[in-house]
Amino acid sequence: MNYFTVLITLLRDRENFVQEIHHQARLKTKITALLISSSIFLAIYGGIIGAFASPLQVFASAIKLPALYLITLIICLPTLYFFNAFFGSKQTIGQNLALLLTAISITAVLLFSFAPVTLFFLITIRNYQFFILLNVLIFALTGFIGISYLYQIMRPESEQLELASVPLMEHQAEHDFVVVDADQKPKKSHKNLAPEVKTRTNILRFWLGLYAFVGCQLAWTLRPFFGAPGQAFELFRPREGNFYLSVIQSLIEILMN
Amino acid sequence: MQSDLKALKIDEGELETLSGLDVNDLFVGGIFGGTYRPSVWRDSKKLFFFCLTEISVFVLILVFTLPIGFILTQNPTPGMGEIQRALQFLTINLSVAGVLMLGWNFYLWNKQKSLASVAKLLDEVDKYNEVIKAVEIIDKLATVGHLPANLINREEVLEALRVTRESLVCALMTEKILRQHKSFIARRHELFANIENNLLALRTLEVNSQANEYGRLLNEALEIGMSVYKEVKKLQN
Repeated sequence: MNYFTVLITLLRDRENFVQEIHHQARLKTKITALLISSSIFLAIYGGIIGAFASPLQVFASAIKLPALYLITLIICLPTLYFFNAFFGSKQTIGQNLALLLTAISITAVLLFSFAPVTLFFLITIRNYQFFILLNVLIFALTGFIGISYLYQIMRPESEQLELASVPLMEHQAEHDFVVVDADQKPKKSHKNLAPEVKTRTNILRFWLGLYAFVGCQLAWTLRPFFGAPGQAFELFRPREGNFYLSVIQSLIEILMN
Repeated sequence: MQSDLKALKIDEGELETLSGLDVNDLFVGGIFGGTYRPSVWRDSKKLFFFCLTEISVFVLILVFTLPIGFILTQNPTPGMGEIQRALQFLTINLSVAGVLMLGWNFYLWNKQKSLASVAKLLDEVDKYNEVIKAVEIIDKLATVGHLPANLINREEVLEALRVTRESLVCALMTEKILRQHKSFIARRHELFANIENNLLALRTLEVNSQANEYGRLLNEALEIGMSVYKEVKKLQN
């Protein structure tokens, strides 16, 4: 299907793909394709981790895992867009969404690539703790790669470079009959842009922290993803405490024992 | 594909620039905010992929409406089991997703009216690209010796395709301008005159080449030219 072709294009030629996003080429197609393909990959991996507990958990986790990634993105997107716009970014919200989806799709594909490994251990080892640990490692690794990639492509420097890399004449020739926005021209010198760029880089770092913060709490709210063995199926666990309190409590328990 | 044919082909990127809309085999203007192409109903393969897209969108809506079900099932009635709670959650989520899905399909259907002209022109572009594909196949057959090279008046066909391409480009631009600026635009008369001239050129080429192997392809090019002419005339009115 066409959506997977877009994803394969992203995997094979990431640089060109990102450049196209910076120039708003086929943006809607990219957003739709990345949304659909990443949801499918995440749903498959969610189904596999849910299979550890019960068939009902398979369906629950297949919906929950894409929801975790995509809803976190939707919650955090306005913060990134408005902060960046306030500090001089020319990117549209569609471009921001496409870039974020690029990173999520890469994470989803990497998770999907681990699916046979997870499935293998699911079949051969029925150890809950091991399965949890294995998945924590997989999620951490894929998440780290996805976030590192996002940091690379979202840096204001890369936006400036991408926009400056295409000569204006070529840009005009491509958009015959379309009035080219004069603001799109990189008219400021790099020297003048430096403080702006620095601020936006800091915003990006802050936003990545926020994304992780929101993601952890949403994961806590939507749990269980694995479903503990021997326990009855639970759609959602009671809404008590939060992720961070739980981590602190666990640490205290470990230290007290 | 030979470079001259490659240059003649109108690809999706160029179509986006010309029409100002995201275009693929199934949708014009993208899945969200656009509409489906009428050719979806005529081609079983496209219909199959369209159905797959509908399912994918439904799953996507289900994912995004998860918070609604989550919030509404947070205070279960006492004595309600986990399975019953899951069923309640599923009922709420499926209902919300179903309603949104119906809304989206209604939007697609409604949007089709406003994008009918561009959809028709895109179908003509598809036909044009198919003609190029046919020329490519004949070229390959001629290369391996299945067809005598002198049987093919290749230059004349390429000329016809060039003229057709120009007409299609003009038509797509006219449609885009009229869609984006519905008020009067002086340039449309110039573009329309250009399409009329191209149609005349195509007719002349067809008369000259009726007897040779490429007659059928020229005829197809002429048919595309006629459709484009009619569509632009409709837009003019």
